[in-house]
Amino acid sequence: MSPGLKARVLAAAAAEPSPTRAAVRRRNRLISLVAAASGIGAFVLFAALISGSHLLRLGGEVMPQQHVERPVWLVVTTAGGAGAVAVAALWLALSRGRSMLGRSPRRLLYGSVLIPVSLLAWKLTSSIAFGDAMVAWPDRPGERCLSLSLLVAAGPLLSFLAIRRTTPVQPALNGAVLGFAAGACAWIAVDLWCPVAYVPHVLLGHVLPLFVLAVAGALLGQALLSVRRR
Amino acid sequence: MERYSKGDEAAFAELYDAIAPRLLGFLRKATRDPFTAEDLMQQTLLHMHRARGSFIAGAPVMPWAFAIARRLLFDNTRRRRVERRLFSDAPADDNRRTYEPTAPAALADELLHVRRLEWRLRQRLDDLPESQRTAYRLLRQEGLSLKGAATVLGTSVTAVKLRAHRAYVALRAVLRDAEEAS
Repeated sequence: MSPGLKARVLAAAAAEPSPTRAAVRRRNRLISLVAAASGIGAFVLFAALISGSHLLRLGGEVMPQQHVERPVWLVVTTAGGAGAVAVAALWLALSRGRSMLGRSPRRLLYGSVLIPVSLLAWKLTSSIAFGDAMVAWPDRPGERCLSLSLLVAAGPLLSFLAIRRTTPVQPALNGAVLGFAAGACAWIAVDLWCPVAYVPHVLLGHVLPLFVLAVAGALLGQALLSVRRR
Repeated sequence: MERYSKGDEAAFAELYDAIAPRLLGFLRKATRDPFTAEDLMQQTLLHMHRARGSFIAGAPVMPWAFAIARRLLFDNTRRRRVERRLFSDAPADDNRRTYEPTAPAALADELLHVRRLEWRLRQRLDDLPESQRTAYRLLRQEGLSLKGAATVLGTSVTAVKLRAHRAYVALRAVLRDAEEAS
């Protein structure tokens, strides 16, 4: 080992201040608040522009003279279930267990499969109990739900990447799981706003954005979370 | 690391003493270039310094350090490849191939044979895919457990076993050939 190496490393570290654990916790709390505010803000803005500031839509005109309405308990059940999945997704994506290298790739892969599958399964099984919600809505193919999901999830996804900062192992996979977690959070807003449970609509408007966000998360994860020489 | 993450600045020197020798050994074997190895070790420790605030209490430090070092090694290799492509007039500077052991002619035949064998083994190890080579090094040279090596490589224990086994088979073949030749 070169004689001056230790002195060089210590001097370089001293010249570059780094936050302590307490400072990182404070910063992460602030970023979480920004994430929540950006998601809720995007939802309110979208509702104001598209549906006259209605954050909760129980029903609507399927076609002229046919009105379908969701019971409140169905909204509570679907949004509550989506909330539980979102909490589990956030736990998987943001907590690293007891290792600095995060969760194993196998667990992350299982999570990537389980998040969209459980959200879709919950939405459909809850809606089956209320048959009218499953009917086709010709004028609602799902593009508004798609844009709502992406709009609501964009801020949280960037915030989650900022909280995670770096990961030396599997940055793309970690980024993809962060994308799924952001999508799961947005799913709650979409559940409140959209009364449609018609399967093609749900696949296009509710499930597809999860995968779009996962791909975006993977690309951003590879670019931002990778360990690189400075 | 725990003390350093809480803000005890003096703990970084102790952290250096605890991990630098192993880290440098790993990087020297991987790069075969002491200057690059020292540079990468410095970068690894600075990365740990920057990330100290996110250190999980009680988390093992060495697998984390090895994983960062391995990523920086990839990054360094990629940069060198790009530089070589850009400055193709410059002489080839593949630091992984610069090892040329010199056996003094005066030494006994046996020593020469051992040196040649060592050189062949190193060459065979260099020719292995990176994943197999690193799995072998982490298990055999750094003494990491299967689980620790799997964490560093971001894969399963079974995959590490398979990669290390393939490396052992390749190295054993070199030893067998040398035995037959002698």
